[in-house]
Amino acid sequence: MSGAPGVEDLLRELAPQVLVALVRRYGGFDLCEDAVQEALLAAALSWPAEGVPDNPRGWLVTVASRRLVDQVRAERSRRLREDRVVLATPQSELLARPADADPETDRDDSLTLLFLCCHPALSTPSRIALTLRAVGGLSTAQIAAAFLVPEPTMAQRISRAKQSIRTSNLPFRPPEAAERAERLAEVLHVLYLIFNEGYTASDGDSLTAPSLSGEAIRLTRLLRRALPEDPEVLGLLALMLFADARRPARTAPDGSLVPLSEQDRSRWDRALVDEAAALLTRALGGASPLGPYQLQAAIAGVHTEAADPSATDWPQILGLYDLLEKIAPNPVTSLNRAVAVAMVHGPAPALELLAALEADARLSRGHRLLATRAHLLELQGDLTEAASAYRAAAHRALSAPERRHLLTRAARLSPKAS
Amino acid sequence: MKYLLMIYGNQEKWDSIPAEEWPEAIARQDAFNRKYRETGELVGAYGLADAVNARLVRRENGAPAVTDGPYLETKEYMASFYLLDCESEERALQIAAEIPSADQDAVEFWPVLHEAPADA
Repeated sequence: MSGAPGVEDLLRELAPQVLVALVRRYGGFDLCEDAVQEALLAAALSWPAEGVPDNPRGWLVTVASRRLVDQVRAERSRRLREDRVVLATPQSELLARPADADPETDRDDSLTLLFLCCHPALSTPSRIALTLRAVGGLSTAQIAAAFLVPEPTMAQRISRAKQSIRTSNLPFRPPEAAERAERLAEVLHVLYLIFNEGYTASDGDSLTAPSLSGEAIRLTRLLRRALPEDPEVLGLLALMLFADARRPARTAPDGSLVPLSEQDRSRWDRALVDEAAALLTRALGGASPLGPYQLQAAIAGVHTEAADPSATDWPQILGLYDLLEKIAPNPVTSLNRAVAVAMVHGPAPALELLAALEADARLSRGHRLLATRAHLLELQGDLTEAASAYRAAAHRALSAPERRHLLTRAARLSPKAS
Repeated sequence: MKYLLMIYGNQEKWDSIPAEEWPEAIARQDAFNRKYRETGELVGAYGLADAVNARLVRRENGAPAVTDGPYLETKEYMASFYLLDCESEERALQIAAEIPSADQDAVEFWPVLHEAPADA
């Protein structure tokens, strides 16, 4: 963060810290989370008019604590959870704590918060929604807009996630050492999903629907502050930044997708590329074994190094895919590897690899296998077959931009065909 | 992913249901809707009016031209539809099979195109 962030940026930066302060003091994640949202709303309404208080974090903690007290009193009067919250903490103690009192603790706390929001006891959509709200400081309305669902739908998803945290009694503390790596992988996966959800051609109205990929990058930077040298965290951040750097070239003026090989590379964001490359170098310099995000970032990095597509170092990309397939086998990785095989050894052996993948049920119903086959047939010069494979892939695609893209490719190969 | 579920029927079929069975059918439907609204997976559930209320709308010379519908002369019309937002197709299929009338009539199931490229 540099310069003077606007009120909204400041609030979203402070949101997880305030939440953690409340949870530490009072326990009860779900009630604290509601109280923090109300305090953020109050600040969003009053700060722009009355000015940002001297100690914005203290202000938020105080207001959120009052809301929490109100809530607990209301619940008490209904004779619910009578002994859950101890309200003895003097408000002066909360107010006295300066915004940056203990950066060390803040870093650990946001990490603990991420671990809780991405807990495997929650469903994946719940993890995503809760992470965006509790750590990202987004309102339910903003998250709903980003996922194109009505606000009540998202509100239910979030309240269900919080209910699961309560009923499963998930503790607010870092995971045990034995399961730490696994839990960190869950956190990275959630951030990766948020990034992918937002990596679209059209970002819509950014005022109502925040950019999810931008949010994923912000949260991954936050995670990196907590774990500055973790190679997979560095790898994921590098992967996101490489992808984000290509965004300006990824969409044609008419909104259609432009594949990597046809992008105007002068439109890539050089500053992001350089930052990603530096992160990747740092990740790969460590002693720990390579993880899947480092490898994917390395592949993105090799693509980015080439001044034009013909200069791409395909043997190196194939080597990286070999490693990726070994440590994190996944049918989509196998498809991408087949494309690299085609670029190094020609389309024929790649088509043989595809034939072997057809038995995989995860691939046989989707569009990816057909789209890859179409691409390989095109490389081989079988244009008629390639066009019909592109069309077949388009029929199966469930994403509107991808479907349009595949139909365009089919039309390009057989302009006269209907 | 979002999924559209559609239920078809016709007046004759609905008329054949005895009046005393309606309250229970409605209660079962309400319970289904409530259950999946609470999980955040049911985005909306909508019953359609009778076919006599359907219209066809075109634009002719820049002006709306409205005639009585529906478009197709079919024995059955769409009676209601649901919009789900689920983690997987498997999950959406499971919910579709729980629609109270699914033991009598098939539910038509359509994935809705997504604006983000599909994730691996």
